[in-house]
Amino acid sequence: MGNIMPDMGTHSRQHRVSEAAALYASANLSDALFTTTQQRVLASLFSAPGRSATVSELIHSTGAGSGAVQRELARLAGSGLLVVEQVGNQKHYRANPDSPIHDELASIVRKTFGLASPLRAALAPMAGRIHAAFVYGSVAKRSDSAASDIDLMLVSDDLTYPDVMATLHPLMERLGREISPTIFTRDELRKRIRDGGSFAVRILQQPKLWLIGSEHDLAA
Amino acid sequence: MTSPLDALSGPGKPLVAEPPDATEIAGLVRSGRARLADAGIASLSLESRFDLAYNAAHAFCLAALRRLGYRPRHRYIVFQSLPHTLGLGPEVWRVLAKAHDLRNLAEYEGHMDVEERLVLDVIEACAHVSTVLARQI
Repeated sequence: MGNIMPDMGTHSRQHRVSEAAALYASANLSDALFTTTQQRVLASLFSAPGRSATVSELIHSTGAGSGAVQRELARLAGSGLLVVEQVGNQKHYRANPDSPIHDELASIVRKTFGLASPLRAALAPMAGRIHAAFVYGSVAKRSDSAASDIDLMLVSDDLTYPDVMATLHPLMERLGREISPTIFTRDELRKRIRDGGSFAVRILQQPKLWLIGSEHDLAA
Repeated sequence: MTSPLDALSGPGKPLVAEPPDATEIAGLVRSGRARLADAGIASLSLESRFDLAYNAAHAFCLAALRRLGYRPRHRYIVFQSLPHTLGLGPEVWRVLAKAHDLRNLAEYEGHMDVEERLVLDVIEACAHVSTVLARQI
């Protein structure tokens, strides 16, 4: 089926992945690495730092079967990725920050099913009106706490705050976290980048979690 | 049967029960309308129009809460409770909550970066609150 055009640009690499293939790959990265239940359990425990949950909370929030959730928890705790705390007669599970691959796993979760995929899915109905979208601030820098807002930058010439708030509201309820969107038109963004003020420095030089577009779209 | 607002009131919670006061509510509505009208003056700076629209919205939302017999312990809750006071959705209350966050950044960290899009959307959300509130008074 492939109708992949060769890349005629200045890239020296021979087999550059086409945009369509890259989109397909990013949509399936999660499934290539983890089962659906694993994704849901990891998303609950690794997408916000310090979050802990009981088995029944995880069964409720993931919508997965209780046997499947308990098996995953046992496996993750057994491998040292989770720590278990006995509180009264309940076990509380949370990500173990001392695990040797904690940071890498948390990063994978955020870049895929934990944060980026749900955000992309929420923005999908208005994606045609968005030139670029990325998460910045404490979440992108990985210095956030469970209570930190998710700072979201949207570059769009015609989206309004009511549109965006109505679209993101269900996701905020689901994640239990506030998303704080900022909308800039392309002109405003260019002007701010030219002015080189604190905003431009804050946004451009700090880590970003890209949802739509790439670094290239900011330079234009 | 406790209402969502009842559930939010009491010691350590964001609302306190206090009987409505018609003079107070009329004052808030009058002040809100004056500021909302001024927020529409295009010759003012965006910063001033933002302040006027934000404060007008706060006055209307506070009036809606006072009308039902509650007083807030902090400002954010007047916007957060709009679904329960005036039946308004996230397309209104979350825009005003966003304005609240920006206002705090400006007041406490000296960071003011409002663009026209946000100012216009806050004015519109505020006008919407004003209209719905007027129907109920």
